Amino acid sequence: MAFQALYTLTDIRMILRETAPSHELDPEQRKAAERLLENLERQVSSLKQEMLK
Amino acid sequence: MRCAMGIEARQVNELAINIDPIQAGGRLTADAMKAAIAYGDGYSVCDNCRKPNRLDYISKPPIAEFHRDVAAWLGMDAARMVPGARRGFQAVAHTYVHKGDPVLLTSLSHYTEFLAIEDSGGVAREIPAGDHKIVTADAAAAKIEEVKHEFGRPPALAFIDQVDYQFGNMHDVKAIAKVARQYDIPVLCNGAYTVGILPVNGKELGVDFVVGSGHKSMAAPAPSGVLAATAERAAEVFRTTAIMGDVTNRTFGIKEPELMGCTLMGVTLVGMMASFPHVKERVKHFDRELKNHKLVTDALLSVEGTKILSEYPRKHTMTRVDTTGSFDKVAETHKKRGFYFTSALEERGITGLIPGATKVWKFNSYGTTQKQAGHLSAAIVAIAREHGLTVTE
Repeated sequence: MAFQALYTLTDIRMILRETAPSHELDPEQRKAAERLLENLERQVSSLKQEMLK
Repeated sequence: MRCAMGIEARQVNELAINIDPIQAGGRLTADAMKAAIAYGDGYSVCDNCRKPNRLDYISKPPIAEFHRDVAAWLGMDAARMVPGARRGFQAVAHTYVHKGDPVLLTSLSHYTEFLAIEDSGGVAREIPAGDHKIVTADAAAAKIEEVKHEFGRPPALAFIDQVDYQFGNMHDVKAIAKVARQYDIPVLCNGAYTVGILPVNGKELGVDFVVGSGHKSMAAPAPSGVLAATAERAAEVFRTTAIMGDVTNRTFGIKEPELMGCTLMGVTLVGMMASFPHVKERVKHFDRELKNHKLVTDALLSVEGTKILSEYPRKHTMTRVDTTGSFDKVAETHKKRGFYFTSALEERGITGLIPGATKVWKFNSYGTTQKQAGHLSAAIVAIAREHGLTVTE
């Protein structure tokens, strides 16, 4: 799960690179960012449950 | 934010458009970053190293397959990964060049080719580039004859840069190699700026070796690169060890002396491997890169007094520019001197130029999106106008 979250963050990082310097997202990028951030929240939540059980 | 004590987290490519001439093609893909996260430990690719214990035989991760694929992709018979293109030059020079041997390169060759020759005791002889900073087959033929006259024998090896680092100009490697073959001179094509950027096929070029740079043009961590060879030359450069210890009688299997055994044993190699599918695909779309590049060169040329010193129209995205007659005029009286220009670019989220450079400088737009290329173009025009330079529509 740690890797999954890191990889999701890496995908988010790539969006930052593609949109530098303004980081204004077009509709497609915004959709991708929303999906990635939702995944990240889920992954962090699972990690929390696993590690702190 | 820091990675560790004294080491700032590098966010250059996240915060700005980076047009550093040598960094553009080496930016990692997402897959290479992910591989780097998992394979950061020292000998990370060696978990499943089995007899005959050599890097290019490891099948998990699929390193053996990767070596075969890279060789085929370059139109060559064998390939080895090396710690940077320079180590490829060194391996080849060390195989063919003996003390006092003349070696051919060009007046636009990279310094590491000179060092490879020096390291082997060779003597450098440069094919002069013509007025347009292009190295031609005719000039190569003339230089070979000159060398024969001087040394009584042809050069032992020739290094030809497909695209040179000074102007980013494209040189006719195929025609030069054809001339060299008439004298039985092995030819190494230096593809540091082409392998991973645009299609390169060593067989079609008629060369003995193709060298590429992972960190310059194959979206890989440094130091990484590739040395690919024809079957005939592979047997020579990738020969295996024959040495034996006199006390222990130890021998060292099939390790290759020119490569000092195994080469890229961790994050560099998996980075190259992870980016490879993307690199194979991106070379097919170099026309898009040239289109974006043109947006930038058009903007530069719209500023009166600016010259493109590289061949034009451009065949590569790394370009040498002369702004002595434009942006440098402003620097003469500006309180920040030449630094005003790079500061103005930085303010607009553009980085990678040598700070203070307003006379002759290089940039590389490779990897920018169309929107980013547009932003860069608009920034150049805006800075010019802001400082009273004439911009033609």
